[in-house]
Amino acid sequence: MSKCRYCDFNSYAWTGQELDRYVRALLREAELRAEALHPQTVFIGGGTPTFLPADLLAELLVELSRITGFRSTAHEVTIEANPESFDEPRAQAAAQGGVNRVSLGVQSLRPEVLRAYDRVHSGERALEALARARELFTRFSADLIFAFPGQDPASWEADLRAVLASKPGHVSCYELSYEPGTALTRLRNAGRWKAEDSDLCEELYLRTGKILAEHVYERYETSNFARPGERCLHNLAAWRNLHYVGVGAGAASWHGGARRKNIERPEAYQAAVESGIDPVGECERPDANTALFDHLMMGLRLVGEGVSRARVRAATGLDPVDHFANQWQAMREDGWVEWDAHYLRTTARGALLLDSVLTRLLPGEPV
Amino acid sequence: MSRRFPPERIRNFSIIAHIDHGKSTLADRFLEVTGAVDTRKKQDQMLDSMDLERERGITIKAAAVSLTHTIRGEEYLLNLIDTPGHVDFAYEVEKSLQACEGALLLIDAAQGIQAQTVANAMLAMEQDMEVVPVFNKMDLPHARPEEIKDELENTLLLERDSALACSAKTGEGIDGILEAVVDRMPAPEGSPDKPLRALIFDAKYDEYRGIIVYLRMIDGTLKKGDWVHMVGADTDYEAIEIGKFMPKPVPHEELSVGEAGYLISNIKQLEDVRVGDTITIMRGERAAALEGYREAQPMVWCGIYPTNSGDFENLRSALKALKLNDSAIVFDPESSDALGFGFRCGFLGLLHMEIVQERLERESGLDIVQTAPTVPYEVQMNDGSTLVIHSPGELPDPTQWSEIREPIVTVHIIVPTDSIGVIMKLCTDRRGIFLRQEHLSATRVMLTWDMPLSEIIYDFYDKLKSGTKGYGTMNFEEPRFDAANLVKLRILVNSKEADELSVICHNDSCQRRGRAVLQKLQKEIPRHQFQIPLQAAVGGKIVARENIRALSKNVTAKCYGGDITRKRKLLEKQKEGKKRMKSIGNVEVPQKAFLAVLSTDE
Ligand SMILES: Nc1nc2c(ncn2[C@@H]2O[C@H](COP(=O)(O)OP(=O)(O)OP(=O)(O)O)[C@@H](O)[C@H]2O)c(=O)[nH]1
Ligand SMILES: [Mg+2]
Repeated sequence: MSKCRYCDFNSYAWTGQELDRYVRALLREAELRAEALHPQTVFIGGGTPTFLPADLLAELLVELSRITGFRSTAHEVTIEANPESFDEPRAQAAAQGGVNRVSLGVQSLRPEVLRAYDRVHSGERALEALARARELFTRFSADLIFAFPGQDPASWEADLRAVLASKPGHVSCYELSYEPGTALTRLRNAGRWKAEDSDLCEELYLRTGKILAEHVYERYETSNFARPGERCLHNLAAWRNLHYVGVGAGAASWHGGARRKNIERPEAYQAAVESGIDPVGECERPDANTALFDHLMMGLRLVGEGVSRARVRAATGLDPVDHFANQWQAMREDGWVEWDAHYLRTTARGALLLDSVLTRLLPGEPV
Repeated sequence: MSRRFPPERIRNFSIIAHIDHGKSTLADRFLEVTGAVDTRKKQDQMLDSMDLERERGITIKAAAVSLTHTIRGEEYLLNLIDTPGHVDFAYEVEKSLQACEGALLLIDAAQGIQAQTVANAMLAMEQDMEVVPVFNKMDLPHARPEEIKDELENTLLLERDSALACSAKTGEGIDGILEAVVDRMPAPEGSPDKPLRALIFDAKYDEYRGIIVYLRMIDGTLKKGDWVHMVGADTDYEAIEIGKFMPKPVPHEELSVGEAGYLISNIKQLEDVRVGDTITIMRGERAAALEGYREAQPMVWCGIYPTNSGDFENLRSALKALKLNDSAIVFDPESSDALGFGFRCGFLGLLHMEIVQERLERESGLDIVQTAPTVPYEVQMNDGSTLVIHSPGELPDPTQWSEIREPIVTVHIIVPTDSIGVIMKLCTDRRGIFLRQEHLSATRVMLTWDMPLSEIIYDFYDKLKSGTKGYGTMNFEEPRFDAANLVKLRILVNSKEADELSVICHNDSCQRRGRAVLQKLQKEIPRHQFQIPLQAAVGGKIVARENIRALSKNVTAKCYGGDITRKRKLLEKQKEGKKRMKSIGNVEVPQKAFLAVLSTDE
């Protein structure tokens, strides 16, 4: 998998042999941690699994299914793909292996932007890949990144419209972020790349929402938009703070009362798995208060739906509205949140100020 | 080691120079050739023992060390003080010189005589000390000793043949310098038969050992266990331990005439130790007080506040402990609406201010907020009295006074002849008055100007450096106060006046300054849920205005890849940042914003 500049997801340079070894390790971890898991959704992502050769990808899916039994239980099996590697054989391998949804990392259609991100595909290749996804899979998503410094709002809008023309059921629009340790962050710190521009972010964020609404996409999460029936079930589960098991280097899990993250570096990850050791990197067991906060932090991103009070009570023993009664009261007066007996959610204004909403819930002076 | 040296076998000297001319490196060579340090343990600039000095590569504190060295078969005790070169620390140099009979005036053989070379040489000559000029960095290919000899004659009126040459880097010429110290500098003059008389030339607080007093013996002998009397403080203490710095402290049984060393006692009150005070014997005939040190005159003032209001008393103790080691600091309690209780502190310059702030934080572990520095002003009150103010907030209502006087300093600037034009313009733009121009050599001149201190204290030095490709240097003397058309620039944040942010500036530049301050605040103050108007006013007249737009979005639409723990931590960090903010009315202001006034960007 090639390295790209904007993201710090596990992406390292690999040779064919190394890929093989990595897949073995991943499957071995699945045997240890996900045997007969019978998941309802599967998401093959984090880095770019379509860099695997088609036969290795096919093998991975067959083996994963054998271990977890997902083919008989999962309604949604998504694979993340990059336009440059999402070719016919791989697409076929994925479809035959049970994948029924593709999340395509288009990022941008502009060569200058793609270059800055170190992406090797071109705008045309991305549109071709979208067409292929449309042919082979009923459900697919186009994933875009916006708000790189100096981005012209008009060109962003044109890109977005061009992508919408290939009629994806789902669109993710993420703001460019500078993750520690990535090339982009180093460029910025060295003064060779402009810093974040919050005004531009805001303008593009609002514009994006407007255009997608025109095309009848609902913003169901801060950065995610879907046509009716096209929401990503896997991600919905994560925002609802339901459990999941992640396998692979750097993969996150939320399972059995623990949030954990695997060892990041593939070499160390593989070494651990190969010697029969659980490749856990960091692990945390949130107490009830932390778990409650996590429910809110994740759930309030679901713009229309909000947080289910009953689900949170069942999971933590605490009611999300009663627990922060004073804070919610004040925020309702500010016009940021609303609730009824079943759900707590942000208003349109509160959705934009979610960081303020959440920090008000953290211990310390009211601000 | 603890053999006794008669005064004629003792030399006390300082190394003085312009910044970076190699004083501390030369001291390293002295430590080496005299065997004071094990060659295996050596490092560069060994006497720069403070972390801050090592990090910044400059000397901040003068450091004393005792060496023994044999010359022509005779063993000598050489007490050396390595001094700082930066202009802000001239007071350290002055104090060090008073504990010595001679000075090595180090001159970078490539750079030649610079502003602090002149200033420090003058300090030594005023005290009628033996000054031995030494050209350093002779290993550099562009060393130009002949030309510098001209400068030596023209500027300092020192004989061209009096100069020695060395390379502190290669060690070339080091023995010759030590010989000159012995041959050309006088031995200390005191008498062993007179009552004990010693000068406290420095002090510091040590966590384990308590207060350590640095002293230079003038007359008599000090023995371990003696009871001593501090004349100025009028207190008595037992000399529990005495010794010399070699360079680590080494206990001795006695210190006698001309020697330099330290004294440890169970001194409880930090105030009992005053640098410049005289030590004599408690019982029997007491010696008269020495002249001591003149008080330092602070050039810049700023407010220092604890981030946590509960730390006020801790900050007071920390300042007291630091003052023991840096007698140039002045501080008095003050309070502010936004910042609570703190201190108004005076410093010798901006670098001094920065160093004190860093030392305070490091040595006491306190978190502090600092307001923008200002120079002092004299206010002519209607009732005929004169009020000296150290912060713009102290300026009384304009109806109560008739005149404000600002500090004016005579500045000496040494530059290459080809950059005279640029520097003349710079000085004129900063309201300077040209006094004279003198040629030091064929290629370098010294320009002398009268300039308002407020115009040179912030970024003037940087401008001077960039206008002369790094070759320009400057020095200035103590200020006098002259009347000027000055006004108080008031800053209003969301209609609330913030005294902590106000500035005194020249009437002609109030609009420009006002705009610069507001633009800086606009960058520093985060957007709030409401719009925040920012205004700069002189009296009731608004001279500049800006706006901080209301915050309408802060949700992060970024992709975190399922790392919930990290996302939560980021929010907690945001909250932490907010807690550290101070408020002006209902506006949360980060601590950095209180320095906004510093922005002089045109
Ligand atoms: N080439 C060369 N470099 C030298 C020589 N002496 C000192 N230096 C270098 O000059 C720089 C400054 O040396 P310091 O000894 O720290 O100078 P200083 O005069 O003590 O500086 P301050 O205490 O900050 O005023 C260092 O990088 C030294 O390595 C020398 O003889 N030759
Ligand atoms: Mg030094």
